[in-house]
Amino acid sequence: MSFNRDFSRDGTFLIDLTKCTGCRGCQVACKQWNQLPAEHTEFFSGEGYQNPPAMSEYTYTRIKFRDYQKNGQHEFAFYKEMCMHCNEPACASVCPVGAFEKTAEGPVFYKDNRCIGCRFCMIACPFGVPKYEWSKALPLVKKCTGCLERVKEGLHPACATTCPTAITYGPRDEMIKLGKERLLKSPERYVQKAYGYQEAGGTSVIYLTALPFDELGFKQVTKRALPEYTWEALRLVPGIFLTAGAGLSALAWITHRRERLRQELEKERAALAAEEAKEDQE
Amino acid sequence: MSTLRRIDDEVRSYHWFVKALMVVVLVGAVAAMLRFVYGLGATTNLNDTYPWGLWISFDVVTAVPLAAGAFTLGAIVHCFNIKKLEPLVRPSIVTGFLGYSLVSVGLLLDLGQPQRAWHVLWYWNVHSPMFEVSMCIMLYTTVLFLEFLEPVAQKFGWKVSLRLLRWLEMPLAIAAAAISTLHQSSLGTFFLIAVDKLHSLWYNPLLPLLFWVSAICSGMCIIILEATACHKWMGEPNEGLLLRTLSKILPWTLGAYLALRVYSLVLLSVGPFFNRPWLTLSFLLEVGVGFLVPFIMFCNKAVRENDSRRALAAGLVVFGLVLNRFNVSMFGMMDPQNPYFPTAIESLVTLSIIAAHILFFVLIAKYFPIFEHHPETVDYRIPHRPVKTAGVSGQSAGRG
Repeated sequence: MSFNRDFSRDGTFLIDLTKCTGCRGCQVACKQWNQLPAEHTEFFSGEGYQNPPAMSEYTYTRIKFRDYQKNGQHEFAFYKEMCMHCNEPACASVCPVGAFEKTAEGPVFYKDNRCIGCRFCMIACPFGVPKYEWSKALPLVKKCTGCLERVKEGLHPACATTCPTAITYGPRDEMIKLGKERLLKSPERYVQKAYGYQEAGGTSVIYLTALPFDELGFKQVTKRALPEYTWEALRLVPGIFLTAGAGLSALAWITHRRERLRQELEKERAALAAEEAKEDQE
Repeated sequence: MSTLRRIDDEVRSYHWFVKALMVVVLVGAVAAMLRFVYGLGATTNLNDTYPWGLWISFDVVTAVPLAAGAFTLGAIVHCFNIKKLEPLVRPSIVTGFLGYSLVSVGLLLDLGQPQRAWHVLWYWNVHSPMFEVSMCIMLYTTVLFLEFLEPVAQKFGWKVSLRLLRWLEMPLAIAAAAISTLHQSSLGTFFLIAVDKLHSLWYNPLLPLLFWVSAICSGMCIIILEATACHKWMGEPNEGLLLRTLSKILPWTLGAYLALRVYSLVLLSVGPFFNRPWLTLSFLLEVGVGFLVPFIMFCNKAVRENDSRRALAAGLVVFGLVLNRFNVSMFGMMDPQNPYFPTAIESLVTLSIIAAHILFFVLIAKYFPIFEHHPETVDYRIPHRPVKTAGVSGQSAGRG
């Protein structure tokens, strides 16, 4: 864990959903780069036009379609779902074997050779990102890699490279600056907030949208970094262990000493009584 | 051949209920094997929406507090020095040891990569409540095993180990209580990360403390139920007098739990609270029937002194604890549009884990001196010569 690290130079996605055309080039590029198999799906098997219906072990990113009306016209709005690459990831904090790591480059990296498959990351992730290989006898977790190998070589992630309109990739501070400029420049175009700027303590994926976030299917997430919630309790562990151990030891010592003293006193009294009885006899 | 025949005869002589338990355990073992052949997706109703199901909710999150009797009673007897409760210690240690061993079995079935369970010992992550709980469970199962060795050593007449084990009794009891405090509460810490997922009736920052206090309550209630059942069905001595003493402690712990529960709900939680009728009902059942009613019952002397009413109150606490753990780990996080139900295989495995617990307890009680440990009749000196057979040791220890 890296509390209080400076995240401003982490590689970050600025995804301007008002510019997204729903071409799903990012979905294809992701499958290609990560060599993920296609899924057998049916159109309209999910909530709307999107396909596949949900992210899965084979689909790390997906464009979600939102059909709405504006001035009597049907319009589409889109939401590119993917790993948010949190600054302080919940998955990394709950994993018992430390299989997730927030890398210096920005992506949250999953070490599949460590994972024991407990699925706590799936419970913990506020965005519902980690997916599981349910079909396997000894399954592992799957999620967007943030194209760490590409980023390390100075390339941009596959989806960001492919996207013709919406995705900009760069250091977090620059992406935040760019996002703010856009919000200021065309206030009528955007909801005046950036999702991911503060969500879950800040993430390496930042969204700009025209529709309110909840209407697009964004989850409402706390602004606090999630690991803090559990750390608040866990940081007390050594203290509680020592206090409980020492307290009970002291208690045991006191109660047993008291009992020994009482026994000794009784023995003395008995001896005294016996002596007195002897004297009386004499 | 003759050994096999002896075992065969022995098994044939068992009560039909014990034989039925054996069948359930065997069927469950086969069902558990199916999980490794066909995978978790095919054998369970777990999916990306419900990564944790019955196996985590019952076999781990619920079974651990149900096995809390061993550490609670150990602390009461050895640290608070209420020596007269000593006869209850051994059965509770056996229960704890079985409980934790079966928790480990359940956890290994649920893990995707059970062959890598040792990774927890190698790649530490102190920020993970799961790491904390896994380490504690491994440590505590070892402690319970050492504590359980005493009746084993007594049965086989191992002199040196008996001396060592008796000397270790106290430090082990303290270690057990300290380790248990950590992992019982850390099970609550698990769900602190489910900030926007767990319903407000259960999510609050005191979850770890609440888990610990309720585990202490349920641990004692399990002891009451177990001793009552052993008296009723196994012909063991009636421990009513001791249970009366034990149930005098319960109003305090249950009262503390209820006070903490109300405090955390009123002052530390943010609503909405009663927006889901089923959850409201489940909450009322849990807190009302599961904790408040038995609290009032245990406050009543007439209940504490009546074997069957005491057992009923203890049963209600156990019900409340089980419902609480399910509310936190399952119902309170469920999406009502798309609920989770366990498959037949999941249910069968959990059922057979419960059956295995009862079966092994009955068998251990049959072959090892766990009920004959009455301090007023046991010779606490180290034996001079090896005791030859179980029968002799049983007789020499006598029955209270």
